[in-house]
Amino acid sequence: MSAHLSDRTMVDVLEGGGSPAQWAHVASCAACRSRLEEAQAGRELASKAEVPEPPGLYWEALRRNVSRRVAEEPPRRSRWSWLVPLVAGSAAVLVIALSLGGPGPSEVDALLPAWSALPPVEDDDDLAVVWGLDDADLTEWDEGRGLSAFVAGLSDDESEALVAALRVERPEGEP
Amino acid sequence: MTVSAEMPTLAPALSADGVPTDAAAAREAERQVVEACQRGEREAFDRLVVRYQRNIYRLCFRYVNNHEDANDLTQEVFLRAWRAIGRFKGRSAFSTWLYRIGVNACLNFRAARKPLAQELPETLADSRMGAAQRVEKAQRARQVREAVARLPEKQRATLILKMYHELTHQEVAQILGSTVGTVKANLFHALGNLRKLVAAEEGVKP
Repeated sequence: MSAHLSDRTMVDVLEGGGSPAQWAHVASCAACRSRLEEAQAGRELASKAEVPEPPGLYWEALRRNVSRRVAEEPPRRSRWSWLVPLVAGSAAVLVIALSLGGPGPSEVDALLPAWSALPPVEDDDDLAVVWGLDDADLTEWDEGRGLSAFVAGLSDDESEALVAALRVERPEGEP
Repeated sequence: MTVSAEMPTLAPALSADGVPTDAAAAREAERQVVEACQRGEREAFDRLVVRYQRNIYRLCFRYVNNHEDANDLTQEVFLRAWRAIGRFKGRSAFSTWLYRIGVNACLNFRAARKPLAQELPETLADSRMGAAQRVEKAQRARQVREAVARLPEKQRATLILKMYHELTHQEVAQILGSTVGTVKANLFHALGNLRKLVAAEEGVKP
């Protein structure tokens, strides 16, 4: 092996690892041997940097201090705990809205005529079927009152039946 | 607050007579203690503090080189761990996770550039040594610690974790969010630079 050893390989050799070829290279290469000796000297120095040991009672005091500070911490909340007030608040708003009155959905249906659910005339494509009818076709319905008067005079059941019939008769594929 | 009756005690890495305990059983015991902490059981966390406080204190001391700051930092590390333990997923060992919090706290502390506090008197020296020898040893230790403190950040963290906490290259890589190859390269540079720094301090050509 002629190339110098990498820093990573040097650490392997320093720690007693490395392959026989790597050890042979260190033995024959002055540059790599010097680098290895430098690292060995650094390790020897590092081993002398002991940390002064605190007095024996220190560890118990440290434990107590950590324990006290942990006890002073606010209770830990779970990841979804923010949902609780949100759900509770939403439920409260719903209950209040319902209790304040106002017609429920079924009451609204009963109060409004059936065609109130239909789109405005200019937006209702289904009416194209009606516009396409000949006057003769309308004679039977109209009887001199006009189409709108005729439709307005229908009962809820009749108007629903008319809308259903018009939808069924509309040719497939037409807008 | 009560600790679950079935929660095991934390087995030490070594038994009283120095025989290694069953590593898998120890890991399982620690996992259960961590889960108890995640349920908010403070007494379970106390067990983790007892187990790791020395390691964390020594880690912090090597960054700040004085007892007062190391003490503050150690408490801060455990407090951060308590606040965050609900997010600990167990993908690494708890100790690896805790060391990572420790290294981050130390780096933040250094970034804040707090003034150095008075260093604790050296009490570690062997009592069988003479007074002059003890002083010399303590001075040497301090000189090396100060040189370690002057190493570039990544080299310093790698050296401290590898040399003084007996962690594997893989564990150091996990703590520092690095690779094994980078850890080895940083360690090699750290050792060489440490030698140069101390030699320069002594006025000796390295």
